[in-house]
Amino acid sequence: MSEEAYQSLRILPSALAETQGDLSFVAIVRSRDELCRWLRDPPRGLKWLQVEGMLGDPYAWTEAAHSDSSVLLDLVLSDPSSEFSDLYKLVDACTVHDFRVTVPARPGLLKAVKLAAALSFPVRVLPGQPTAEVVAELKEVMDFYLHEPTVEAPVEFFHSLLATTCGADAGSLWMILEEDPAAFLQYDIDGQVRLPRSGSFKSVEFSPAEFVENHLKSLVQQGAECATCPWQQSCRGYFKWPDPSYSCEVVKELFSAIQAAADEIRRDLASCATANR
Amino acid sequence: MSSRVFSVILLPTSECNVACDHCFEHKEPHRLSPALLPLLTKRLLDHLENERIEECEIYWQGGEAMIMGPDWFAHAGEVMDSAAAKRGRRFIHYLQTNLISYSPAWNDVIHGMFNGSIGTSMDYPNVYRKLFRGGAEAYTKLWTQRLHEAKAAGIEIGVIAVLHQASLEAGPEKFYRYFTEELGLGDFQVNTPFPGGPAKQLENDFKLDLGELARFLVGLFDIWIARGYASGVSLGPFDGLINHFTGKPARLLCIWKENCSNQFISVDSKGTVAQCDCWVTSYPEYFFGNVFHEPDLTRMLKTSRARRDFVERPKRLVRDEDCLSCRYLSICHGGCPVRTYGALGTMMAKDPLLRGLQSRLRLCRSSWPGNSAMPPRHRNINDRTPSVTVQPINIDFHQ
Repeated sequence: MSEEAYQSLRILPSALAETQGDLSFVAIVRSRDELCRWLRDPPRGLKWLQVEGMLGDPYAWTEAAHSDSSVLLDLVLSDPSSEFSDLYKLVDACTVHDFRVTVPARPGLLKAVKLAAALSFPVRVLPGQPTAEVVAELKEVMDFYLHEPTVEAPVEFFHSLLATTCGADAGSLWMILEEDPAAFLQYDIDGQVRLPRSGSFKSVEFSPAEFVENHLKSLVQQGAECATCPWQQSCRGYFKWPDPSYSCEVVKELFSAIQAAADEIRRDLASCATANR
Repeated sequence: MSSRVFSVILLPTSECNVACDHCFEHKEPHRLSPALLPLLTKRLLDHLENERIEECEIYWQGGEAMIMGPDWFAHAGEVMDSAAAKRGRRFIHYLQTNLISYSPAWNDVIHGMFNGSIGTSMDYPNVYRKLFRGGAEAYTKLWTQRLHEAKAAGIEIGVIAVLHQASLEAGPEKFYRYFTEELGLGDFQVNTPFPGGPAKQLENDFKLDLGELARFLVGLFDIWIARGYASGVSLGPFDGLINHFTGKPARLLCIWKENCSNQFISVDSKGTVAQCDCWVTSYPEYFFGNVFHEPDLTRMLKTSRARRDFVERPKRLVRDEDCLSCRYLSICHGGCPVRTYGALGTMMAKDPLLRGLQSRLRLCRSSWPGNSAMPPRHRNINDRTPSVTVQPINIDFHQ
């Protein structure tokens, strides 16, 4: 493995993570035993646990509520439509641990985002390459995030994208969503570096640190719409991965809406400043 | 050790010394025997150990708790606290009383065991709280006298007022002035009527017009914000909600939490365990078990089929009702199960008083500084959640 890979935060299956020691890493846990093992004795390098496929196991959350450690937990849903109401199972454990809920952009995601927000969990929506149906739901999620006053915790990627359009340096969507291999390096069970939403790194000739820039360069060279896209700086070809032929037409409407919200906030702040003079 | 706090609403007796019209409790002259206190304490401490919880709040109420006498409480406090200390745990005691039996003989135990603070109840106007002889007027007179005596003894007093039709007719101005100016209180709380007893009966007897209730609450909130908020008057549940919505540590009532089944239980003088005092005094079909008959409280709570309904309720409501489309889901989660059960005969439905509750929420939410234009306060996965504690509602008609 190259030296730069060691500078990234490694996201590894639980068994592989055992050897990390003080190096920074995220362990992926898929069973109660794995969860309990890390909660019982979290090494210094453990940044958080990525918990997958366990929301339905009430005993796992009882154990989490009993643990002495306060390890951060990123709960990953697989089917938001059927799983969302089980978020109530985390209520007891969230008095001990801070949670984030990661929701794939699939039908039913709005339900999951609404309940997660009602429980004050930060949310990370992973848009991937959404269908038109899901983009319509993403717009509803964004409207909920932007305009629902009881939302207290960030809903990513909207939150950081809004911050970016307001002048903050939150990085590209790859970084916001923790999918940029330069900073977040994912490993499979065999210890092979894996590209986000894709297979292993084997067939790719460039290094993880250069992946996003080379991906974008390649798209531009192939004449993809990224070349003239006004959101290129924030996106860096995110929505053109893994399928470079994905049409970004509906996704651009999301970007436009965020830009409009940012403009509105800027105008509001300017008028407040004027009024206070 | 977990930072969670577990609460127990403990009823040392269901006996009462007054005769309030709106009391839903089944009263009988049964008292918790001092001989059973060590066993009760052991059961609670075992549960705290099983759940890895360090601290347990005990809300003493009744019936009328003061019927037990100050010596009984001094003994109970000693038994429980010393047993807890030996196992590295801690009980924190609160007392809810109608004050009618208060005398200076209580001062030592109140200043010691209850940290110089107690809760009591009075409505405005008082229509339903009555002495056995003398009715509501005599009750108000005696209660007011006891209140002044206790305050003179340096006891801090919080008062719960249950709203009824005459409160709404009197209006928020008279209501607020009664508690703050006439009684000189700096800490009071308004509750809406809670049902108990046979399902639907009490709800129908004390039903409030929700529009009138909302208008009353709006008016009361405005008066409190204008005159009391800045000067330190605590008016629940508005103050807790404002703290919650502004990200400050908030002491929230049980009805504002995700699921009351995670927060507390109630135990009566016979050892019956149920969700809260309303359930333990009124609905045997929802008893979880008996702490004197079953050796393991943790197991009882885990295996009780009755309790499973409480655990499942919020999940069912977001699936089957329209709760997800409500902007107050974060502070409601379908509302109070006992109020729902009392009104509808099932707890698997939304609290029928939600419209009234929403008016409170709307008010507090609109007081959130920077409400309109700002995005949510930024919290990433490494940020810590502000601490929130939960207070059983102590709603008592019967106090």
